Amino acid sequence: MGTTAAVLTAEGLRYRYGETVALDGVDLGVDPGECVALLGPNGAGKSTLVTLAVGLLTPQQGTVRILGSDPRRAATRRRLGVAQQTLGFPNTLTVHELVTGAAVRGGLRAAAAGPVLDELGLADLRRRRVAKLSGGQKQRVQLAMALVTEPALLVLDEPTVGLDTVARRHFWQILARRREQGTAVLVTTHLIEESAAVADRVVVLDRGRVLADAPPDELVTRLPDRTVTVRTGLDRSELEQLPGVLSVTPEHELSRIQTRSPEDLLRVLLDRDPHLSDLRVQDAGLEEAVLALTDRADEGTDATGTDGGYGRDGSQRAAEVTG
Amino acid sequence: MNAGLTVRVFGVELRDELRAIVREPTSLFFSILMPVGFFVLFNLLYGHDTTQGISAGTAMVATFGTYGVITVAALQPGIGVAQDRDLGWLRMKRVSAVPIGISLGAKAMAALLYGVGVLLLMGVAAAAFGTLHASVWAMLRVALVLLLGTVPFTLISVAVGLRFRTNATIALLNALLFPLAVLSGLWIPIQFLPHVMRQIAKFLPTYHLAQLGLSQLGHGPVLLHVLALLLTTLGAAGVAVMAYRHARI
Ligand SMILES: Nc1ncnc2c1ncn2[C@@H]1O[C@H](COP(=O)(O)OP(=O)(O)OP(=O)(O)O)[C@@H](O)[C@H]1O
Ligand SMILES: [Mg+2]
Repeated sequence: MGTTAAVLTAEGLRYRYGETVALDGVDLGVDPGECVALLGPNGAGKSTLVTLAVGLLTPQQGTVRILGSDPRRAATRRRLGVAQQTLGFPNTLTVHELVTGAAVRGGLRAAAAGPVLDELGLADLRRRRVAKLSGGQKQRVQLAMALVTEPALLVLDEPTVGLDTVARRHFWQILARRREQGTAVLVTTHLIEESAAVADRVVVLDRGRVLADAPPDELVTRLPDRTVTVRTGLDRSELEQLPGVLSVTPEHELSRIQTRSPEDLLRVLLDRDPHLSDLRVQDAGLEEAVLALTDRADEGTDATGTDGGYGRDGSQRAAEVTG
Repeated sequence: MNAGLTVRVFGVELRDELRAIVREPTSLFFSILMPVGFFVLFNLLYGHDTTQGISAGTAMVATFGTYGVITVAALQPGIGVAQDRDLGWLRMKRVSAVPIGISLGAKAMAALLYGVGVLLLMGVAAAAFGTLHASVWAMLRVALVLLLGTVPFTLISVAVGLRFRTNATIALLNALLFPLAVLSGLWIPIQFLPHVMRQIAKFLPTYHLAQLGLSQLGHGPVLLHVLALLLTTLGAAGVAVMAYRHARI
């Protein structure tokens, strides 16, 4: 974990809800100023891990420490800025009242709310009651409440849900800025590619286990998959028969082919189709890398039983973006 | 948490609670309009009668006043706690390291202030109808007794709110409140109730509270009522502690 004292350390965390194992031995560390993205399919255990980290649940096995002390202690929690996955505010309060309230509860002056409201584009909505906000606006209020106390560690559980493209881009910028100021960040998200741009490290969780914990680039290069895009006369079923092909996705006039051995594929492909054009070979993205990891973990288990697996079609992400 | 911060956080919590009361019209209706409305109605009808040496209008400040403060104390904090739990707001406060006792204390305090408002409205109405025949000092004593007497009801209310969801809390607390009001002679003077009901009343804390209020306006025993209320408060505190220990926030 480097030489500086870690902001968050989790060791051997296990947690089960009755029969359901949510966390099955998780180790995790976040250093000061580090941004860690926690990725994984629905039900992977992300929220459970986050809830343990902020001291709302007690580990059944293992330990969590925030700045060296127990997050179940109130004094420790005061160092955290938290946005939970399920948010709820009393409908009777306004945006301004909620954020100033959060500032005072965090031991700051109410005036601290002003700059944060500006930063999150909530200044115009400050007099509005939260009941009359859109989902994305509420999400921003929650974020403002987490940021206003200038925490040592931000713990954000799916903060981008419901944000539009502009707000989302803005959100990642805000995170990047806070990180530069030395705030550590632990963020769960399904927006894999977007998180890769900001995260120093990506932790992939599946069924309560850490499948990978590495910088995003490293995860991508670790994955041997390549994407070969071509314009070809061969149809999809013919392409799927070629050596080393994992999957084929038609894209307008082009075909996107996933493969682990692009050289072997190209040799055969050029041989079969003399008219082949528009050839492009790319690394797989982080999303592909994460999918490959979770898919590999699924192997040998009943495919129908993988509730909430990402699935190769990326429908998980599509749902998130339109949400 | 140092004392200064505790006070400031309590201030924020109390302000939020008062806002919730003022900005929520349904709570205003059930907790102010109904008791004060009943009070006004009965005052207009019977306010000038005399019972046991005091004007009925004056006595009603004690009986309807009991009903008024009890309604607020029994409904407001518990429903608030249940709502906050359902919303995840209480969780949010726990994350931001607000001691849960401060949140609950602010709810109790807000209900108490609300009760003061109800009593004030009743006092003003009675004075306006010319049915108020008691010294200011006596009225203040009545108010103090009634407000202190809300403590066990606040405790029970919070206990229910910590245990049940919002809808169940509303139903349960109202189910508790209604028979207490009827059987303790808060609406209809106790001497007009059938014998059986009067016997039952002796076991109800609301009866003792109303009687203690009335005793401040004329004469009558005090000790028995005080003892009954103290016992109730102890029991209610026990229930509240149990609920708090087993609460899922
Ligand atoms: N309160 C609960 N009671 C019972 N089971 C639960 C509870 N909360 C979560 N679980 C189960 O624990 C597992 C992990 O859930 P968790 O909420 O941590 O997943 P997640 O990674 O946050 O998923 P998502 O991406 O959908 O938010 C799931 O199988 C879930 O069904
Ligand atoms: Mg979750």
